[in-house]
Amino acid sequence: MLRRVVLQTFRQGLAQSFFKRNAASLSESAVTQHPIETSEEASEKSGSKQKNGDESGNTVVVAPPEFRFMYPEFLPDPTMERRNKLKEKLERMDMLQRRSIIEIPEFYTGSIMAVTVADSNSPNKFARFVGICIQRGGSGLQAWFILRNVVDRQGVEILYEMYCPLIQKIEVLRLERRLDESLLYLRDALPEYSTFPFEMEAERRLNNSVVPINPIKVKLRPRPWLERWERQNLQGVEDLNLPQRYYDRAKEVAKPWEKYDLMLQYRKTIPAEEQEKIYAEVHSQLQQQDLKRKIKRRRGPSSEQ
Amino acid sequence: MSTVGLLRTLFNPKLLPSNVTQLQSLNRSPFLLGFLSNHEQVRNMSRVKRRNTHPGYWLSLKNVQKKDDKISADNLRFMREVIQDKYKNKSPLKVSELQIEKTEWDPKTKRSGVIARNIGRQQMWDKDGNKIVCTVLHVLDNHVIRYIPPEEYVKTSRGAIHFKNKTPLGCLVVGAEATNPEKFTRQYCNLFAEVGLMPKKTLSRFIITPNAALPPCTPITAGHFLVGQAVDVYGKTVDHGFQGVVKRWGFKGGPASHGATKFHRRGGTIGTGRDKARVWPGTKMPGHMGSERRYNRGLMIMRINMKYNVIYVKGTVPGATNSIVRIFDTLLPLRKFKEAPPHPTYFPPEDGTQKEEDIWDSRLHVFGSPSISV
Repeated sequence: MLRRVVLQTFRQGLAQSFFKRNAASLSESAVTQHPIETSEEASEKSGSKQKNGDESGNTVVVAPPEFRFMYPEFLPDPTMERRNKLKEKLERMDMLQRRSIIEIPEFYTGSIMAVTVADSNSPNKFARFVGICIQRGGSGLQAWFILRNVVDRQGVEILYEMYCPLIQKIEVLRLERRLDESLLYLRDALPEYSTFPFEMEAERRLNNSVVPINPIKVKLRPRPWLERWERQNLQGVEDLNLPQRYYDRAKEVAKPWEKYDLMLQYRKTIPAEEQEKIYAEVHSQLQQQDLKRKIKRRRGPSSEQ
Repeated sequence: MSTVGLLRTLFNPKLLPSNVTQLQSLNRSPFLLGFLSNHEQVRNMSRVKRRNTHPGYWLSLKNVQKKDDKISADNLRFMREVIQDKYKNKSPLKVSELQIEKTEWDPKTKRSGVIARNIGRQQMWDKDGNKIVCTVLHVLDNHVIRYIPPEEYVKTSRGAIHFKNKTPLGCLVVGAEATNPEKFTRQYCNLFAEVGLMPKKTLSRFIITPNAALPPCTPITAGHFLVGQAVDVYGKTVDHGFQGVVKRWGFKGGPASHGATKFHRRGGTIGTGRDKARVWPGTKMPGHMGSERRYNRGLMIMRINMKYNVIYVKGTVPGATNSIVRIFDTLLPLRKFKEAPPHPTYFPPEDGTQKEEDIWDSRLHVFGSPSISV
């Protein structure tokens, strides 16, 4: 009985997130996006953390539903022609091995991060870059994210592969989300929106269980732009102030039927049952690694004394 | 065209625009290089038969059992019980029970190959931080079905062709992927029943020297290969279907704009009007592309996982993901074995102590080891 309840909450969580993610595409009035609850709060709510009793009495491991946002690269590429369960399992084992060496924290598009990489060409052999995450993608060991910053009035973007062994440290200086999944429009925005000081320190989170959403609306530079932003339904951009013909053409070119295309969404995502299995497989190791790091952090200052 | 220009094009086929046929003159006399007066037709590579798409000579067996829908539920249950009884009592032969002759390895030995499945690609990094993309090959449950000695194999139709003017070698028949006997005909199942195995989905022949012979029922695993050795992988390339001339042969087509009327992805001319006024056989045209049998040679093995029987091979392998491939020791002379490999195949040690579960090449960065600092 208990397992069914937890599964329901997992799937409810999935349904919620589905609607959250597709809020922009829904034609109805603005759906207020609720900030994502981290695993701690969710576990308090559901009342059951990891293991649950089945009817038969066997313990069944279920990971908290938030794992699909915290660790999205554990889900494989949904293209059916390329899927193989054994290969995905082996890849996940390698990913966990790498994660045992370096902490790859939870981050989202819009978070400000600092990455230290081993670089033979820099004076101290390490290069540190601070920037805002404008996009993340890839699955498995190919997972990547792009950090953007403006250095000496020159916009710089660096793509980091999360599991590359040259990366020494990944810090999240400010953990937050924005109104869009991809912030590529920052390339056409005023430079102040992409500038972050390199000396920025890690900010403490006021509320540890909730990831805040920054509702900032960015101002774009005058045209020409790199992309036709008026066709992309962006929430985080101020009114584009374009002549009406642009919006008319955007309407002609738009594909409003895609939000009703369930098969399209199905092909782009991994089914809920498989997601459960995948996260159930990895979550105990991830939690162990997390615990070890917390203990180390607590002991660290005391051991120095 | 100047004589110099013609000479250059003769020796540099890549400079020839492929959608225009060339009449090439070649004076074979070494003393008259400057004078090209003959008008001999010469075949260039576009005329040579390139594709081998005919089904393999071994695909003559009709193995698939016709489905009997009129069978009653009782009879079906009985049939399944019979199958269970037949195969349940047969336990897999232990390595100690197999009679393996102890033979010496020498550089001219040809070992057996292995049937595997291409399960995808995974990237890894070397100790300098450079990315290496590897293809993951899952070695299926290979078992030796039969060994045909050279004297016998030469008498078969295939063997006679293969060893027409050469010293004959033996042939090892290996099967992989045990499946439900209900799917196959009785004759096909009997091939394996003689040996005491469940019928296999895939069969393959490997040409071997007699000293690498193995008895039937011998399992061949990923340990058959060594990390750091070079292998040749044989498979059927990705099927692209009917494709146009741009994708199939790499033609440039025509301009996308500037007034081009209905000439964007077409081949252009297919022959001249004068000499041999017809379309030459082998002219590059649209047609079926892919699904050809190919070898990718000299691929290095970067990592072997003994527990899951998985090999990571550097580079790519012919065929799509989840397709069957065959892996052999390489033919390339400079990448062959210098020291003895597991000969005739790898057998796990009797006393239960296993080799390492996951064997990495020395150049690779192991994921559990500390980050690279340059």
